[in-house]
Amino acid sequence: MKLASNVDLLRLQVRVLLALILRETRATFGTSSFGYIWAVATPTASVALLVYIFSSVNREPPFGPSLALFFATGILTLQFFNELSSKLLTAFDANRALLTYPVIKDVDTLIARAILVTMTYFLIYVIFFSSLAILGLANVPSLMEHVLLSFFATALLGFGMGATNAAVTSIWDTWRQIEKILTRPLFFLSGIFYVPSNLPPEVIAVLKWNPVLHLVEWFRNGFYPNYNSLILDRSYPIYLGLGLLLVGLGGERLFRKVRF
Amino acid sequence: MLELNQITKCYKVKGVQKMILNNISFVFPRNDNIAIVGRNGSGKSTLMRILAGTEPADRGYVYRTQSVSWPLGFAGGFNGSMTGLENIRFVSRIYGQDTDRIIEYVADFADLGKSLRLPIRCYSNGMKARLAFGLSMAIDFKIYLIDEITAVGDENFKKKCRAVFRDKLDESRIVMVSHAANTIKEYCKSGLLLENGGVTYYPTIEELLDAYKRSNEI
Repeated sequence: MKLASNVDLLRLQVRVLLALILRETRATFGTSSFGYIWAVATPTASVALLVYIFSSVNREPPFGPSLALFFATGILTLQFFNELSSKLLTAFDANRALLTYPVIKDVDTLIARAILVTMTYFLIYVIFFSSLAILGLANVPSLMEHVLLSFFATALLGFGMGATNAAVTSIWDTWRQIEKILTRPLFFLSGIFYVPSNLPPEVIAVLKWNPVLHLVEWFRNGFYPNYNSLILDRSYPIYLGLGLLLVGLGGERLFRKVRF
Repeated sequence: MLELNQITKCYKVKGVQKMILNNISFVFPRNDNIAIVGRNGSGKSTLMRILAGTEPADRGYVYRTQSVSWPLGFAGGFNGSMTGLENIRFVSRIYGQDTDRIIEYVADFADLGKSLRLPIRCYSNGMKARLAFGLSMAIDFKIYLIDEITAVGDENFKKKCRAVFRDKLDESRIVMVSHAANTIKEYCKSGLLLENGGVTYYPTIEELLDAYKRSNEI
């Protein structure tokens, strides 16, 4: 009996993922050829609006030269995480029809969505921070590699969270609502409009359980030359992301027969 | 080779468990087109999905050494908001085919004309079936799984199906689910009767249809 070689399987995997990404792009961003521009523009505009509102209410930035930059470093990280977490939650349901084709598996739809969201947010980050730089509100990041690493750590945590969400939702539909309730307070708990290190120790002891807070701190540590975070633990969001990914993919495998 | 090895499948809905396929083993004959018959709800479509690999069995294995198509039924797998062309491109990409060649073939075969540029949700059932059928014929599978799809379409389309199968049959085979005795007689040489979770193989169509008739009378 002839079995497909690993190279063939890898080729098939790449092919399926590319086709899925193109299809998702088309399905999410509509018929118009400006679809993808909208996909990038909408979150960029919503963050810009939030930044504008906060910078007009608060005069003093909690840290650094501009409030817009400070706020953006926090809110973009949180939005990227939230987008992955919630987009992947619906991946199995939304792509049910695709499973007609035996070459496509549930996990492929998960990976394709994660890649698409990550690429989109990468573009949003680039556009946002270069616009801030052009407006004179931001400098070039002092430690570019940490800015990039924290971006990918956010992608990992979001992918892990999203995979777990998808697996749990596939056997327990109420999880959709619970996930929304759980992630809502992250806006206040992730150090978006304050410097967490300046908080009292009792508060820090609680807040440091929030992995998104560490990602925000990591990003700022890379962006600002002298942002000395007292809380930052880089291994925490990474290990948690890997753990969640294990739970999500393991759950997918475990519940595969229940889903059908 | 296409082989079912001790396949078992149950569905459990609202606490009620229903055994659909009970420990089925069968090696599909190498050169014959096989018909699968059985009453409604006897598990024909489930068996097709398991053969294709779109749905996992509870226990057992399916061995495939040749390329097997997806189960060709009533247009599952098309995204309603995407146009016919976009759906064709998607499928030819996942199967690693030359997109232009596939589009040309399907446009010619399905005869949908300008409708190819419309979203699938504007298609009638017949149009969807023609698209699905043309698309799978454009890709060279060795085994085609066909779930009642040839029953749709007008005379002209049926004629085309016959012609394309005559060409394909040198290299490819069909596993077909159908209720229509004429269709079965036309395409298949032998068949499986699916009954009470088990299968029985009949080497000729006459025997198969007789057995099917008897099972309906009980």
